[in-house]
This record gives sequence, structure tokens and C-alpha cells, in this order.
Amino acid sequence: MNEHRRQILQMLSEGKVSADEAERLISAMEEPSTTKSSDMGLKSGGKDRPKYLRVQVDSEDGDRHDGPTKVNVRVPMQLLRAGVKLAYLIPAAALQKANLAMQEKGFPVDLTQIKPDNLEELVEQLSDLVVDVDQKDANTKVKVRVFCE
Amino acid sequence: MIPFVAVVRLRSQESRTLRLWIPLVLIWLLVLPLGILLLPFIFIACLVCRVNPLRLVGVLWQILSALTDTQLDVEHRTAGGSFHIL
Repeated sequence: MNEHRRQILQMLSEGKVSADEAERLISAMEEPSTTKSSDMGLKSGGKDRPKYLRVQVDSEDGDRHDGPTKVNVRVPMQLLRAGVKLAYLIPAAALQKANLAMQEKGFPVDLTQIKPDNLEELVEQLSDLVVDVDQKDANTKVKVRVFCE
Repeated sequence: MIPFVAVVRLRSQESRTLRLWIPLVLIWLLVLPLGILLLPFIFIACLVCRVNPLRLVGVLWQILSALTDTQLDVEHRTAGGSFHIL
């Protein structure tokens, strides 16, 4: 059984989602795969390529009572591609230093592995990226959403 | 194509909105002679760092071109602003 389907059924059994919601989630999950498989014979990579990386932040501070703050950032994917290419041009010694600095900050990424060969794959993988963060304290509500469109 | 215009919109508490159209073309025209003057130094720096200067110029051009359609909006009840590169 598909891992995502298993997770949805698990959520259903735990009562986190209703039967209708579970059905919608499963059908939404199956939709792209069926489209993809039907397109596969016609052209490779038939899925629409995302054009933008979006970051949306909704924040509300209950103490200040001055209304919510909304931040909306839209970055073209082409800029990410160009950025990765620029990272590839950085000398290896500098990348090693950057790797060490990032490891110290708890972000273990090997920048020396970023090469034009796997650039497209890297950006393609971002198209499936969705990050949702909901934080609700007594006074603060923050919702962060990162996705590609 | 490199971006030609940046639109900055600022909204104050009194619901006054200031919209600025910044012609980036003028900035590029000003930066171009400076870039040409700095080109030999950039070339030497590239040789020292063992970076292909043509490749570097190509990537920088790509970054500049990719800036088109970048958008940043910040909205609050009291004030707000947005920055859009066209």
C-alpha cells in the first residue's frame, strides 16, 4: 500500500480527519499520478513545471490588538536555478567553509555536491514541496506556508 | 530579458498609498560603465579564484534576468507595502 494512503487511513482511524476529508485527500493524491501516467506516453515530464516558489506568513499577535500581519513572497524558480549555478562556481575551499558554518548552525548540507548535472532534479523536487507550519499560543497565531505554483 | 521596472507601493496608516515606478533601465545604464571599468579586476579575481569569468558573467546575467516577476508583499492593518520587479 502507498505510504501516503496509509498515513491518510491512519489519520482517519485516529479520528483526525472525517471520512469525506480522507476520501478527498486520497482522490487528490491519486489525481496527479493518473494524469502523469496518461501523459507519459505522449511526452516526458508532462507535469506542469512550477514557475514560482511562494512563502506566505500570516501572523497575529493577541497582545497588541493591531490586526494581523501578512507577508507574501513570490520568487521565480528561474532565480533558484541561477542561484544554484552560481553556487557551483564558488571555489571548493569557500564551499567547505560554508559547509562547516552551516553544520555548526545545525544544517548539515554538502554544497560541494551541487552540480549542474543534478540541478534540474533538485529544482524538480521542489515542485512537490509544501511546508505548512501552524503555531498557536495563547497570544500569538502564526501560519507559515511554503509551496511551489 | 532583464527587468526594466520595479514597482514599490507603500500604504500608511491614514490609508494613503504611495506608488513608485522605478525605472531600472536607468540604473542598468549607470551601472554598465562601472561594470566595464571593473571588468579587468573581475577578470583577475576570477583567475586567482580559478573561476571561468565568462561563466560567471553568464550566471550573473541569468540571475539578473530571473529577477523579473519577483514579488514581496507585507500587509498590516496600520501599514503595508509591496515590491514587484517587472
